[in-house]
Amino acid sequence: MIHANKYFDLRGQIIDASTLDEEERQLIDKLQQFSDDHPDARTAEYESYWIRRVGDFYLARGLSRRDVTRTVVWRIAQDLNSRLMIAAGLAKVHDYRDELENLILLKYKSRRAFCEATGLSEDMLSHVLAKRKNLGIQTLADALAKIGYTIHITQVPDILH
Amino acid sequence: MAAPLLECSFLIPLKRDTNLSDGQPHAPERWEWLYDELFDRFRGVTFPPLTYLGVYEDPDTHSRVRDESKKYILAIEDSQLDELRQLLSAACVLFEQKCTYLSIAGRVEFVGPPSS
Repeated sequence: MIHANKYFDLRGQIIDASTLDEEERQLIDKLQQFSDDHPDARTAEYESYWIRRVGDFYLARGLSRRDVTRTVVWRIAQDLNSRLMIAAGLAKVHDYRDELENLILLKYKSRRAFCEATGLSEDMLSHVLAKRKNLGIQTLADALAKIGYTIHITQVPDILH
Repeated sequence: MAAPLLECSFLIPLKRDTNLSDGQPHAPERWEWLYDELFDRFRGVTFPPLTYLGVYEDPDTHSRVRDESKKYILAIEDSQLDELRQLLSAACVLFEQKCTYLSIAGRVEFVGPPSS
């Protein structure tokens, strides 16, 4: 699942696994095996397993709980869980509007601040984030360019590996 | 002897609210945020298997709404209650809900999004 020290997540983004030690790699193998053996997210078996397993592993190494959630193994374990949730119909692969909302939540104090920075109207943004309307590609590209972001094309993820 | 803990449980609907949004399933990033926060703030959480079906009256539209939710169970100290409410308030925004159902040792609250 990790090829050439790279793990490709659901978003098609690369998680760099080159710094993992042998124990961490073994833990990922166990997580992968467990998710393979318990693929139905509705049973919550993997969900119950991975948090405890990864949490205990890193807490024993002295990491804080917040730091545990930033480790490569945690992110990969999360990604495996997300794949199971999508396969079970409990979640749905995001579209650009979810990414837009994440960007606003993380980088701006309010939707208004984001609109002022990008030139988008608040009314339009409200409809877009509520998934009632879409932005044209050029409109989105122009708006994102004003804040230093761009659209990028990526391969559709293979949900179950 | 350690002080007894409170058993708390809450429900997160599997889909976005149909009035606030489009009624579609959440993106996985939303669930990932929830797991990060639950572990960071409370460490332990129980995930009951299966999902919970419910029906309620929407307070705004007065229409009958059916939903399906995931349930989470926590054992926390009294002093952590406000932190749990704060988490669920943020969850209302991220999961696009009007409120979330929170049971605190059998007493139920509906936690809404932040007022500001």
